[in-house]
Order: sequence, then C-alpha cells, then structure tokens
Amino acid sequence: MFIFDQLKRDDRELRFLAIIMFAGCAVLITGLWYIQIVSSRHFEADLIGQATRTVRVPAVRGKILDRNGIALADNRPVFSLDLYLAELSEQFRANYRKLKAEYRPTRDQIEHVQRLARFQVVSNIAHQVGQWLEAPVTIDEQEFHNHFINLRALPLSIVDHLTLDQVARFSEQPQSLPGLDLRVAPRRVYPYGSTAAHLIGIMKRDDSSMENEDAFFHYRLPDWRGLTGIESRFDSEMRGLAGTRSITVNYLGYQTTNSFLREPDPGASVTLTIDLRVQMIAERAMRSTEFGDAVRGSVLVMDPRNGDILAMVSAPTYDPHVFLGRISQETFRLLNDPIARPQVNRAIYNHYHPGSIFKMITGLAALEAGQLNPAVEVYNPGYWQWKEGTRPIKDLAAPGMYDLRRAFVKSSNNYFIRHAMLPGVLDRLITLGERLHFGKKSHLIPGQDVPGNYPTKTDIRAGWGPGDTANLSIGQGAIHVTPLQVATMTSAIANGGTVYWPRVAAKIEPNDPESHIQPLYYRPAQIRDHLGASASNLEIIRQAMRADVHDSDGTGKAALTPGLTVGGKTGTAEVEKAGKIVDKITWFTSFAPVEAPRYVVVVMVESGEFGGSTCAPVAGIIYRELIKLEQSTGLSLSQLN
Amino acid sequence: MENPRANNRTAPTIDWSIMAAVLCLMVFGAMFIYSARFATEGPDMAFYQRQHFKQIIYYALGLGCLGALCITDYRIMSRYSYVAYWLAILSLIIVLIPIIGAVRGGARRWIDLGFFSLQPSEFAKLALILALANFLSRPTDELRLPGNFGKALGMVALPFFLILMEPDLGSALVLIPVSLAMMYAGNIPTKYLRRLVGGASIVVTLLVVDILVAPADWRVPIEDYQRRRLLVYFDRPYQDFAPPNATPAELKRAREKQINDSYNVKQALISVGSGGLTGNGWRQGKQNALGYLPRAVSHNDFIFSVLAEEIGFIGSVVVIGLYAVIFFIGIRVAAQARDRLGRLVAVGVVTLLFSHVFINIGMNIRLMPVTGVPLPLLSSGGSFTLVSLLAIGLLQNVHRHRRSY
Repeated sequence: MFIFDQLKRDDRELRFLAIIMFAGCAVLITGLWYIQIVSSRHFEADLIGQATRTVRVPAVRGKILDRNGIALADNRPVFSLDLYLAELSEQFRANYRKLKAEYRPTRDQIEHVQRLARFQVVSNIAHQVGQWLEAPVTIDEQEFHNHFINLRALPLSIVDHLTLDQVARFSEQPQSLPGLDLRVAPRRVYPYGSTAAHLIGIMKRDDSSMENEDAFFHYRLPDWRGLTGIESRFDSEMRGLAGTRSITVNYLGYQTTNSFLREPDPGASVTLTIDLRVQMIAERAMRSTEFGDAVRGSVLVMDPRNGDILAMVSAPTYDPHVFLGRISQETFRLLNDPIARPQVNRAIYNHYHPGSIFKMITGLAALEAGQLNPAVEVYNPGYWQWKEGTRPIKDLAAPGMYDLRRAFVKSSNNYFIRHAMLPGVLDRLITLGERLHFGKKSHLIPGQDVPGNYPTKTDIRAGWGPGDTANLSIGQGAIHVTPLQVATMTSAIANGGTVYWPRVAAKIEPNDPESHIQPLYYRPAQIRDHLGASASNLEIIRQAMRADVHDSDGTGKAALTPGLTVGGKTGTAEVEKAGKIVDKITWFTSFAPVEAPRYVVVVMVESGEFGGSTCAPVAGIIYRELIKLEQSTGLSLSQLN
Repeated sequence: MENPRANNRTAPTIDWSIMAAVLCLMVFGAMFIYSARFATEGPDMAFYQRQHFKQIIYYALGLGCLGALCITDYRIMSRYSYVAYWLAILSLIIVLIPIIGAVRGGARRWIDLGFFSLQPSEFAKLALILALANFLSRPTDELRLPGNFGKALGMVALPFFLILMEPDLGSALVLIPVSLAMMYAGNIPTKYLRRLVGGASIVVTLLVVDILVAPADWRVPIEDYQRRRLLVYFDRPYQDFAPPNATPAELKRAREKQINDSYNVKQALISVGSGGLTGNGWRQGKQNALGYLPRAVSHNDFIFSVLAEEIGFIGSVVVIGLYAVIFFIGIRVAAQARDRLGRLVAVGVVTLLFSHVFINIGMNIRLMPVTGVPLPLLSSGGSFTLVSLLAIGLLQNVHRHRRSY
C-alpha cells in the first residue's frame, strides 16, 4: 500500500489506524457487493412489487354476424367520465388542513376527517360535472371509500354512458377540473335488440383469467363471458386474450405512469348461417298468432339441401342488453317466469311430443315395410281401440273411408295406428328414428340442447305393448323432439333422405391478422345419416304433405302461398299429466317448393289451439314474406341461400 | 542538487489529491441532492430556492473557510483552541435553552439564525479535535499521569453529554472513536485505553441488553425514538415492549409504528439493492422519484441510497474510493506532520470523517442502526458541510506547515 510505505516503520499507532480504516472500507464494500450484486434481484423484485400494479385489460370482443355480414352482436364506443385520484391528492391535503383547523380532530377522529376531506373534494367535482352535463351526478360515499382503499391506482368512474349531447357539453367546458378524463370503452351491443336473442345468447360479468393469459393481476377491468347461445359456444374465440397493463404507483398508491406489458389480442368474429332478414320475418310471423308478444313457441327456417339454419326463433324473448347491467327485480321476475320461461331457447333446449307431424315417419315406415298401399281405403270408426275393454284413442278425423292421402290431410289417428300395428312396421319406425338421431343431441350449442326421447330396439323388446306402439305412431307417448329435430326430419323427407348435421356457425375469423386465433370454417352439408328409404316412398309422403296444404280441406291450408308449392303437416300434441290433458303443443312443419325443396319451416306454439289454425298461418306468412323478399332483392332462391 | 521541493520554501503547497477527491465528492453531492429533490421541488421553483443550489453555496462558503484556515499556521491557531472549545460548549448549552434552540423531529439541535440554521454539535466536533489535540500534544511523560488522562476524558465527556441531552445520539457517539483514536495516536498509555474501551464496551452491552430484553421496570430511561431505532436494528417486535396492560388498540398502534419505523431502513435497502452493478442512471432512481424512500431524508441522511440506486455498485465503490483517498492521504499527512500537535489534528480530522462515512453508509445498508449522522460532503445541510470543509482545511494546514524551516 502506498500509504504504508510512507508511514514510518515504527509508527505503530498510525499503521493501526490505517488498518482499521482499510478494514472499515472493505466492510462497506463487501456489504454493498452483497446487497447490490448478490441480492440485487431480490431487491429489484421488492421494488417492482411495491411500485407496480398490473391490470387485466379485456380484449375487444369479436362480433357475431349474419350470413351477409350484418352485425347481430357488435361493440359500440361508450363514453364515461373518469376521475384520476392522483391529481386530486393536493386538494385532498388542502381540504384536510382546512377541516383540521376547523374541527381540531382528536387522534381517533383523524381518519374520519381525512375520509370526509377526500369525499368532499370528489363530491364537489361530481356536483360541478353534474351542472355541466345537466344531469345530477352523485357518488356513493361508501363506494368511493372502498375505491380509494382498494383501487387507488385506478381511476374512479363517476359517470357511465354519457349521451353524445353530454359528451359535447363536457368538451365545450373552457376549463376542465383536475383529474377528469373522458374515456372511451367498447361495450357489447346488440343492434337488433331481441332479434335472435336466444341464438346469440347472453353474457355474464366474469373477469377471471383465461388460458394463455397472465394469471395474477392486482386489478381486473370488467369483462364478460358468454353464458348462453353463440356467445358461450364461441366464447374463447370471441373473447380473444386479455392484455396486461402495468401501472407504476408512487408511495401513496397513486398512479404515476402506465404502459402495456402485453397488448390485448382482439377476439375473432363469428359468421352465422342465419339470414337476418329471414330471422326478422320469422319473428314477426311468430308474433302474429292470437297470443301476440306472449306467444310461447319456436320457429325454425332451414335449408333442407345442407342443414343450414336460416332463422331460429324462440318466444317469448328478452332484450339481451339487460344482462349487461344491473337487473331490476321486476325484470328478474319476468325473466324467470315459470310458464313463459323467456330464457329457454325452445328451438333446442326444450322437447315436446311431436303429435301428428310424426305421421310422416309412421307412414314412411309402413310404406318401407311394404304394409301400406297408398291407394287402398281403410275404414275409420272415429277412434282406435286395441281390444275390447281397453281405452280407445279418439280420432279427430270423422268416421269414414281413408286412403293415405285423405288420412294425411285429415290427420287420421286410426289410419296410422292401424298401419303401425302391422308386422315389421314398428321395427322400421325405430330404425328411421335412429337414423334421424332422435334422442340424440344436435351439439349445435353444447350444453344447451336436449336430446329428446325416442325408444330404442331394446326398449320395444321388453315392457312394450301395442298401446305404446299406437301412441308412438301418432307422435305421443315415448317420443319427445326438439323443433330443431323436426326441422332435420322434415329436411330429410324433403331432400330425398339425407340427414344433415344442422349448421348455425359458418366461420370464425380473427379480426387481427396477427391474432393467435386460427380461422375456423364449418363446412355446410355435413351428412349425419341417411334415411335409407326409397325415393318413391319419400315422394308419396311429400305428395301427401303437399295435399295437406293445397287441398281445400287440408289441415295445413293456411300455409298456402301464391306462387309456391308447399308441403306440410300439422300436429297437435297433448300434454298429459296424471291421465289428464293439461296442455297442447301445436305444430306445423313444412317445406317448399315441393318440386325442389329449398326451405323447411317449422312452427311450434305451446298451448295453441290446433296446428292447422295456430301454426300453419305463421308458416304461411313466412313463405309469403320470403317470396316477397326474393322478388324485392331480385335474387333467385338459390342465390338467396 | 538538493530535493527540488525543498527549494520551494516560499510557496508550501496543499495536497491536491485530497482537494481533487473533495471536489469530486462535492460534484456528486450537488448532483444527487438535485436528483433526490427534483421530484419534490416542482418545476416552478426558483433555482435559488432549490436544495442543490443552497448546497453549492455552502460548498463555496466552505471552500472559502478551508482556504482561510490554511493561511495561519495551525500552531498559532491552536493557542485559541480552548477558546473555540468553550465557545462550542457555550453554544451547546445555549441550544438547550427552549427559547433559543429550534426543535425539529423531537430534538433541540438547531439555533435558527433566520438565513441559516446553526447546528452547534457539528462545530463542537471540530472544536473538540483542536482542543484535545492541543491537550494531548504535551510531552508523553505527562500523559502517563492518570490525572491528565482523566482531564482528557472530561474534555470529551462534557460535549458528549451536552449533545446527548439535545438529544443527538449519533453526533455524541461519533466523539468516542474520534477521541479514542486521538488518545491512541497521542501515546496515552494503552493500558488506560484498554480499560476505557473495555469498560465502555461492558456499559454499552449492558445498556443494549437492558433496552432489548429487560423487563419494563428495569429499563434505563432513554428517548423513546432511540429505543425504537435499536429495536428496529435488532428486529425486535414493538409489542413486546408495550406496557403489560396495553389494550389491543395500543398493540396495533405499536405494530403500525414498527412498520413505519423500519420503513426507512427497508426502503433504503431496496434503493441500494435495486441499483445493481451499474445503477439506473442519474435521476432515474424509482425509489426516490416515487417517494418510497421518504423525501424528508432522501437528500440528507439517506443520500447514499439515492446515489447507490442511480449509479450502482460501481458508483458506490467510486465514492468510497474517494473517501479512502482522503482517509489514507490524511493518515500520511499525520505521519509527515512536523509535531505531535499536527499529527493529532490530522488523526482527529480523519477519524471524524471516517466515523461519519462508516456510520452513515453502514446505516444505509443496515450494518448500523439508524442515527442522524450525515455523510460528509454528500448529505445536504449547511453546518456539517462547513465543518467537513473546515476539517479538510485543518488537514491541509497541517500538510502545508509540515516542515520546520
């Protein structure tokens, strides 16, 4: 050491002091090395831990589009006024000093006075803002304190949903108050309100992290998860990936700067097979029954050539927007009405006896079994009874002679039960039901479709009696179907025997080319099964259905449409409870044009009068409107679809 | 030819290495006081109101005093050392008078002159060094007499207890290593010193043990904040020291107080630690900018934390290196001094500066308990900056007049 050389050799004291000081410096440097080099990461983590807060920022949700690209679910900018508390800390302090001088609080009252001081500042600002917006703005004291304690780094939203007028009024204010900021955020909006509400679905507030997102956040901005319908079916695709915003907070917990650690990845848009115009036609037609808006039922319009759903109506309906806000007690009561059950999608999530509309399958089974000659007339006494002493099944068709066509048009129970009883017909009936996948789910919206019921071959071997066959053949008893299954069934009859998977979503495409979401295309005309019935037998059924609409005494004549041939079948199923008829389910299922079917229209109304009087007119309106739509757009049927 | 420096009799020079180190430290001081304060001092504040500007003024004043102190031979000045000593004692008594002494943070340490807050304890350190050096420079035979050792002890004890009464434990404690080093270098027999150090160690250990573990009735009465600092240093929970009949609310308050008291130390450590090897860069220290490092202390007692976060381990080592230049060249000055008086003055000055540096930086990295001992030339504050530069002036004076011609 340069110092030691110069110290006199015998200067023990100074050498000792020099050693002490050298040791002291060495201790300090060692300490610093330990803290700044060895444990540096630990302290950096502490710094980040105390000075940063992360916020989950939801991505913009994907849209739901109809087949022509019209948005059924969209996002609209919503303006809110935010108050940044950091910029008010000066005022909080100043007001506290004023109050302190006034009240001279004791030690225990200090906190209370501080709270009061803060709240006074904020509520004064709210009052001023209220005057600007010409609408009173109030801040709940408890809510404000909670926000101040728990969410101090985040701005306090003092006015949600400014009208455009209010935005203008606010922007015109020459001097703004400190800490105020006009914020624009996307908000889910359904431009056509309750149109297709059941299919689109509703959303639920849910801020939790999704897969591939950061799991831990200090704060989460409001986010929504699809609860039903398409919103839930394609929730993860439409939700995208939430981003992470990092906020630097100072020692008082106020925000100083913020930046994105990870930008949100916007969600993909879903294109449906639904045609908004057809959907609106179907919904209007549904409301045309004598029940008006209170009608309970479902309408499906399907393309029988590929299984595409053009319209899916469930009534009564609701405004999906109510689920985005606070639901009032009255609204909640209406939404949960035990009879109207507006939240249930009756097209897929409820099943019913098909009643007489099932006779098209019974007839087909008898034809296929070679037990039915359409030309042979059979006597109908006005009821059907298996044996003397058993309970007769009444027939609404008058007593008389019936061939297939007349039996179809008059919907004779006797005729079809009698044929179902013939050897081999029941087996055929069960086979056809299997191929139509009755009793199986459609998987259109997983978790929100019911399979219905249909007897299997095992079922008919044990504990099965002629009465069961009789009931099944006229769509009662062991069979329950959804309107969607009826549409698939009618399509199979109309298109020559192909059972298609119903399709409602056509494609999912990300809005951002760099999105992590892969585009997804659902191909049309996915074949689920074949009826395996002969073309001639199918044609016999189709012609019988045509007669049901076109004959002057047909039960479905209300569906008659000028310029269009329609084949249909009415049905009025009885809902029994403890042996008594408690309700009726009325049906009309149809296809058009008969020569080359391109539409299947299924109408179901709960508690209707008769299928012919309640449901067939609805289908009639739909067909007439469809013709009008085609003419006005100048599109041929094939182009429209 | 003789030694060329011997010819240069007319212009004996000061030691420029020390001056260079002092200047560098002053540059660091101004830079980091600015850095520590710029978040607090809004952009609208006039430059002359800013802390770093005031500090530069103190540096200028201090350098002036340093120069003035170099002119007169220290042997002549030492004749007035007792005058300085008694003036210092007087000022330490005056500051304790309630009307005169200004109270800040519970301690009466300042005499408010309006334009300047004088801290007599800082000047007393210098006065003690001069007086003690003068006293101990008598022939070594006289120092063997126990009476003279007792007198020397008395000279130290008087300001020690006066400063303790303010209370300012840190400044009082600094007097101990300074006087011990001077007595040791001044050839007070080591047996006396051993006894002194041994006795003092026993007393201090007993005190600390008493404060930390003794039941309530047996504790020596010391200032509450000093007890708390010790508890923080030894990581002892406050609740254990609450009265036995304390209510839950009082216990809660004690816990909160502990969090508050250990807050500074914890934040200082985070500052130093997050600096890493190279630091975040000047004015980029987050701990200070975001206010986690309390703004009341970041520019004085905890200026080293600000510096360590912003220029990292490398910067910290440079700063310690600059101090080391002063210490070791200071010891060389002591070694080359023409007489025992000069040697003792130099040893006193060097030990004073070393004690401050070690205690202050040690406190920033939790090696030492928190005491309000400033870092020479870096911490903002008028009195100690002036005293530090005056001390350097004394050192230069000894160096300048090192030969008898």
